[in-house]
Amino acid sequence: MTTEPLLRATGLTKAYGATPALSGADFALRAGEVVAVMGPSGSGKSTLLHCLAGIVRPDAGTLAYDGRDLTALSDTARSALRRTDFGFVFQFGQLVPELSCAENVALPLRLNGEKRKAAEARAVEWLARLEVDDTADKRPGEISGGQGQRVAVARALVTAPRVIFADEPTGALDSLNGERVMRLLTEASRDTGAAVVLVTHEARVAAWSDREVVVRDGSVRDTEWAA
Amino acid sequence: MTPSTWGRDLTLGARFALTGGRSGLLRTLLTAAGVGFGVALLLLASSLPSMLFQREVREAARAADAAHEIEAPRPDTFLHYTQHSSYRGTALSGLLLKPEGPKAPTPPGTAGMPAEGEMLVSPALGRLLDSPDGALLKERLPYEVAGTIGEAGLIGPNELRYVAHAGFLTTDNYDGRAERYGWSVPEEPMNAFLLLLVVIAYVVLLLPVLVFIATAARFGGEQRDRRLAALRLVGADNGTTRRIAAGESLAGALLGLVVGAGLFLVSRQFAGAVEIWDVNAFPSDVVPHAALALLVLAVVPVASVVVTLFALRGVAIEPLGVVRAATPRRRRLWWRVLILAAGAALLAPTVGGIRMEDTAIDTVAIGGGTVLVLVGLTGLLPWLVEAVVKRLRGGPVSWQLAVRRLQLSSGTAARAVSGIVVAAAGAIALQMLFQAMERDFTSLTGHDTTRAQLQTSLDARDGDEARRTIDRLASVDGVTRVIGTTDAHVFRPGPLREGEDFAPITQLSVGDCASLREYAVLPSCADGDVFVALPPKGATDAPDATWIEQTARPGAEVALRDPDRRGTVPTWRIPADARKVEARRDPAGLHRYGLLATTGSLDVRQLDDPSAEVMVRFDPASPDAPELVRNAALAIDPTATVRGLSDTEQSSRFLSVRTGILVGSTLTMLLVAASLLVATLEQLRDRKRLLSSLVAFGTRRTTLSWSVLWQTAVPIGVGLALAVAGGIGLGSVLLAMTGQRVQDWWVFLPVVGVGAGLIAAVTLLSLPLLWRLMRADGLRTE
Repeated sequence: MTTEPLLRATGLTKAYGATPALSGADFALRAGEVVAVMGPSGSGKSTLLHCLAGIVRPDAGTLAYDGRDLTALSDTARSALRRTDFGFVFQFGQLVPELSCAENVALPLRLNGEKRKAAEARAVEWLARLEVDDTADKRPGEISGGQGQRVAVARALVTAPRVIFADEPTGALDSLNGERVMRLLTEASRDTGAAVVLVTHEARVAAWSDREVVVRDGSVRDTEWAA
Repeated sequence: MTPSTWGRDLTLGARFALTGGRSGLLRTLLTAAGVGFGVALLLLASSLPSMLFQREVREAARAADAAHEIEAPRPDTFLHYTQHSSYRGTALSGLLLKPEGPKAPTPPGTAGMPAEGEMLVSPALGRLLDSPDGALLKERLPYEVAGTIGEAGLIGPNELRYVAHAGFLTTDNYDGRAERYGWSVPEEPMNAFLLLLVVIAYVVLLLPVLVFIATAARFGGEQRDRRLAALRLVGADNGTTRRIAAGESLAGALLGLVVGAGLFLVSRQFAGAVEIWDVNAFPSDVVPHAALALLVLAVVPVASVVVTLFALRGVAIEPLGVVRAATPRRRRLWWRVLILAAGAALLAPTVGGIRMEDTAIDTVAIGGGTVLVLVGLTGLLPWLVEAVVKRLRGGPVSWQLAVRRLQLSSGTAARAVSGIVVAAAGAIALQMLFQAMERDFTSLTGHDTTRAQLQTSLDARDGDEARRTIDRLASVDGVTRVIGTTDAHVFRPGPLREGEDFAPITQLSVGDCASLREYAVLPSCADGDVFVALPPKGATDAPDATWIEQTARPGAEVALRDPDRRGTVPTWRIPADARKVEARRDPAGLHRYGLLATTGSLDVRQLDDPSAEVMVRFDPASPDAPELVRNAALAIDPTATVRGLSDTEQSSRFLSVRTGILVGSTLTMLLVAASLLVATLEQLRDRKRLLSSLVAFGTRRTTLSWSVLWQTAVPIGVGLALAVAGGIGLGSVLLAMTGQRVQDWWVFLPVVGVGAGLIAAVTLLSLPLLWRLMRADGLRTE
């Protein structure tokens, strides 16, 4: 592989109080690539994802996205970047319970200033693509966990992001539903050309990725970009 | 279900409340603080009757016993004279005593009778006299301070009171002779309008406290529900979990009672420092009414259990979590309207039925009706909020988030706001009632302060002395105008006629033309003129005009002293050209009928037992002029009474009531805001993970902040709209009861202003937590 990475992190360190979460992590992601970040519980996978997505500012290290230094951006600029270029899928608790599923999916579009009707029309298209169009008018509390995760994937993809960050997206699902969510996530991201950073501790989930990196004690072993 | 099962579950819940970890304890403390605050307020309010009653008791205990007349002096009797005055707007009272023998009793609160020319003073008066502010008062009280009056002789710790040994007291200038203390003249019963105001004020200010207590019992409900789900997982059935939840609330409520009792005990120590409407009390007099206190002790814990069980109606606590009905049950309107209608039905018969002169009102109907109307409005609020938010559409993301949240569950917000509805509606109704009454009371005094501001009447030995008194008061610094006449009575001379018990009598006022013009409409006036002042047409307070006309006939002779009395009776012939004129109200609002004579027409030295009637006006730039006049009057006659004519005294009393209402309703609304804030913070904490994920995909802080604002503003806005409508409606009914009309339709604006302030305050105070929760920490699961 010789293509320049879309997202590159070098020597990231991050500590929560006295507890180190990352200690010199290196990572790179090419456009359209699906990378699984693996490692045991507490190894720093989620912290790496949060740093890569600009949610958390690392204590040290460099982080470049599309040629821009993410660590130098203001909070507002990073928020704007997350709205336009990134999408997110978490394990649970990410859908706004009082909004309908269609409204949940339309939310990022509306935050980007799109009109409600147009946003919700696109949201419904994405719900159909992820095979949950029957949930459009339902609230998250009225659908199953698997359907909820597919709605979350739809929400992550609706803005046509360049990178999707998925943190244990199947962690709360049974294997059948987990497989289905992963299939839809990877297919849709490949269709749209979005890269995916997939945090998981399950090998069968990681199997959907193009390559794997392992986080252990806050350090990342990314064999492809090492050296 | 056995009582022991109930007891076991409630106890278990109480134990969870105290030992359920940091969050459980925090929730319990929060509930205890809320309930405690409410309980303290209720206990203070229930102490008010005893506080006022104790003042009467103290007043009665220190009054000289005048139950029976004592004809002759005895070793154990004393002469007494009570003085009521004021100093720079603060009431001042004094008891002048003259013991007639060595066994005369000492007044309550004193160790012994002061020596002649000495006085005992209350601590507050002592402090005032010792300070530069009391210099003018010192001049007025020509007695040496010999000691302090103890608590038993005072009605309040801030009372300005003196007990003086006045050697000049005689049976001519005394109030009476007594042999002991401890008697009271029944208090003038409260005017029906004021009674109405008090009843409504009680209802309006206390109802939100009850609402607040009910809300406080539900603090932290969502976290508790999750704890209960864990209990279900280990085998507790639905009923058990509900009883355990009730036990948790009960623990908070019981702790709240302790906190409330503590707060009450602390706050009663400050009873002396607070003065409302010239009333303050000794801490020992602030004792809750036993029945009311017991009611509070019983109602608060029971209410906490009932409220909790009621709150869990729509919640199914399942082993794996809490399930709220996806679509909450539709709120019914009929029973809410029924409560309102019941309130209106109770109030309706009293419309037009209250008159100013009444001394009793139908407290049950009015109080009960008002409670029902306010409770009905409170009940209407959740329905109205639901109906309004159901129709809300569109808008930016922040609006959508807030509206959808309210659409899903508007109950919590509506419950918290319900206190605002009661407080605001009640405050509006009270203000309307108050404004109408203020107008009434001011006009009732009938004082015309543009003509005179102080009035005194001083007895004189003869006309010369009366004249000198008038001149002395006219020369006081700051006095710009004096209306002064020498007054006496004139009689029809000659023997009594058949059927007469005494000779026809009328009043004679001798003064300059300017002064006489204050008593009657004079077409012209020159020194030497005499007028006969007759009641104006339609005057209702006029005496029998035939008496005036029999006595004060132009050209007739009148006796200048009672012809029945022994000795020579001086006479005076009324000039034949004396003109009949129409009396007008004097600055004190009274009519003077009879003879008005200019100084050149009559030698005042002939008058028998005259008095100097003086009314003065001040230079507004001399604020101490009233005190100087009082000093001068008391220097002439230590038993003189100087009365303030100013209607400003009345207005300032009402001003304090108005301020009191606004402060009271603001405090109640602050209570409500506190519970709303707790509910908001709790909800935010509950949504920690969601907020973090919203931030992860780029939601702006401002979007979520606005969302919190809308979420607070919509229910408060609906609540205030309801309160304005309900308050104006209730106010109009209350005014109709007293036959009054609305004075100011915009009276609700300050209340709405306070409500808007609360919206801003709750939002602002929520923001720090919101921003903290918007950090990425919320996304961490490990």
